[in-house]
Amino acid sequence: MPKSARLTKLTLVALCCCLCLGVWGGQRAQAAEVSASYMYSFWGEAVAAPAAYQATDLHDGQSLGLGAFKEPNDLYVRADGTIYILDSGNNRVVRLDERLEPIDVIDGFVNGGAQEGFANPQGLFVTETGHLYIADTGNRRVVHLDENDELVKIIDSPESELLQANFVFQPMRLVVDNSERVYVMAAGVFDGFMEFNSDGTFSTFIGANRVYVDPVEYLWKMLATRQQRSQMVMFTPTEFTSLDINEEGFIYATNGDRFGDPIKKLNAQGTDILRREGMDSPMGDLLYTSSTGPSRLIDIDVGDSEMYSVLDAKLGRIFTYNGDGHLMYIFGGLGNRLGEFNTPIAITRSGDDILVLDKALGEITRFQTTEYGRVLNEAVRSYYRGNEAEAAQYFYEAINLNANLEYAYAGIGKAELRQGNYSDAVHYFRQSMDHGNYSKAFQLLRKEVLREHFSVIMSGIVLAVVLLVLVSRYRKMKARKKVVSV
Amino acid sequence: MNRERITYPLHLIVRPFNGFWDMKYEHERRGNLIAAWVILALLALTMILQSQYSGFLVNFTNPKYLNSLMELMYVVVPVLFWCVANWSLTTLMDGEGKFVEIFMATCFALVPLVLIQFPWIWLSNYITLQETAFYYFSGSIAVVWCLFLLFVGNMTVHQFSPSKTLVTMALTVLAMGFMAFLCLLFFSLVQQIVSFVSTIYQELSLRS
Repeated sequence: MPKSARLTKLTLVALCCCLCLGVWGGQRAQAAEVSASYMYSFWGEAVAAPAAYQATDLHDGQSLGLGAFKEPNDLYVRADGTIYILDSGNNRVVRLDERLEPIDVIDGFVNGGAQEGFANPQGLFVTETGHLYIADTGNRRVVHLDENDELVKIIDSPESELLQANFVFQPMRLVVDNSERVYVMAAGVFDGFMEFNSDGTFSTFIGANRVYVDPVEYLWKMLATRQQRSQMVMFTPTEFTSLDINEEGFIYATNGDRFGDPIKKLNAQGTDILRREGMDSPMGDLLYTSSTGPSRLIDIDVGDSEMYSVLDAKLGRIFTYNGDGHLMYIFGGLGNRLGEFNTPIAITRSGDDILVLDKALGEITRFQTTEYGRVLNEAVRSYYRGNEAEAAQYFYEAINLNANLEYAYAGIGKAELRQGNYSDAVHYFRQSMDHGNYSKAFQLLRKEVLREHFSVIMSGIVLAVVLLVLVSRYRKMKARKKVVSV
Repeated sequence: MNRERITYPLHLIVRPFNGFWDMKYEHERRGNLIAAWVILALLALTMILQSQYSGFLVNFTNPKYLNSLMELMYVVVPVLFWCVANWSLTTLMDGEGKFVEIFMATCFALVPLVLIQFPWIWLSNYITLQETAFYYFSGSIAVVWCLFLLFVGNMTVHQFSPSKTLVTMALTVLAMGFMAFLCLLFFSLVQQIVSFVSTIYQELSLRS
């Protein structure tokens, strides 16, 4: 069979051609286009976005006339705009008003007639009534002062059977809820946050991180002898890095987890109830090189309408998410220019502004919203209040400023869906790559179209059936005639 | 005769034992070989159309990186790899199949994929998220059917026992991996040689 042999040869030639094609087609130039501000798309790519926040001014201890800050660790802004800065190296708390003008300095308190100071405090919290809580780490205690800076109580050396005998209380960060329970993140504690009652007694731990077991580590541990094993690192849950509390009393916490969820929203039982409805769960940067690794989230701040921002210590970026876990905007970075940091340590909101504290430089950078940031914030607020039509208006403005903002299309889609404009809703959900809502809108659209054209569709089907029957009969008749004629 | 060329693959997928037997011993080879190529082309076409036109809910291809040539490769190369690997193994394992027969059997086994996936390209534009279960279910049926046909085809073409066929198929997959590795090695070596030569040329042309 010479012909088939030739075909076989052709087959082989085709194989070789395909292989060559594969190599040629496989080389695809990846244009790395990362603008100063960016977002992540549905496909997990970094896409350009306008800046939502802009650094406007920079303040340090000297410009405030208070002497240079030394390794400040935390800052807090009360609802009335008063700013508290914890100047850890100088063992003092600096109070500023909303225009960043100094009010006063707290460097100690009177305890039973004797003046006492702080020793390397790491965290502070201020309640709505102006009570100040300081994690006085060096003195192993939490100090509670009232609005006149008089001592209310001291929380130290907690006693409980949950704690080991040699436990050393080193509070790092803390928050206080509406019923004056104190939640303390302490160094060397793997069981979660320490919860103290309003009278200062230790009650329990809440919200422990889950242990992650590295399979490779586990294998080595299996192979090791008992003696070797005792020298190895234990599998312990990761520690939290920071926490914040919103007006509803939910604790937002960040941890240094490389695996699992680095951001958590804990309810009173310590269960994680953070909503993760976005394309990817909130974790900072989605794209990173294997040498830098994922973002190390070091501080979190919850704003109104469930918006929250996290601070990445590795690259100095601030990621803001809305309550559903959609990424809203990213800004900041490491560097020497205004709006860039050296060692960012804490962030907080002052109204719509965001303040970032730099530990090594002892500086506070204030970021203010751009038009884009304002529109987006307002859109999220309107949506949170349930005013979808108003939110859609803002989302329209937002996509005019940033066509890459997939999340905004979904916002418009939801408003259109509510108004019954199903085909528009389908269009916008498609733009936003929102499969779940697309499906909902499409189902309604399909129903609507089928109902509208029910008569036409049904008569079409009936007509088709009749035609088919007629044709088959005609054929049979013809075939019979043929047989007869043959 | 022409009509049979179209109906025969459809007959084969439902009566695989008779079908593959006829293919090997009864039929004229040339016609079937053309049919095999046509099936392969249709499958490639299905895959390309699928990544371009299937419904939003089931289409996860980034349109930015959709390349029809690459889609074509993803169909044709594995099939040819399979055939070459299978042929290389079965010649050593006393298989009776010739390369053409292996190729034809493999291509005929792909018919269910085309037959089931092709209508779904359009149908998937009119389904909701709940109904995608049917889409994925029929996709799985197509794959299982295809694997079964591949098994029967292999068994008939080489006149193997079922257990030997299974072993051969597993080894074929292994051999495919091996071939892929060798190809990568070969191409990276060629690339290095080319770059070496071009560097020398650059060096010489810049110095003169």
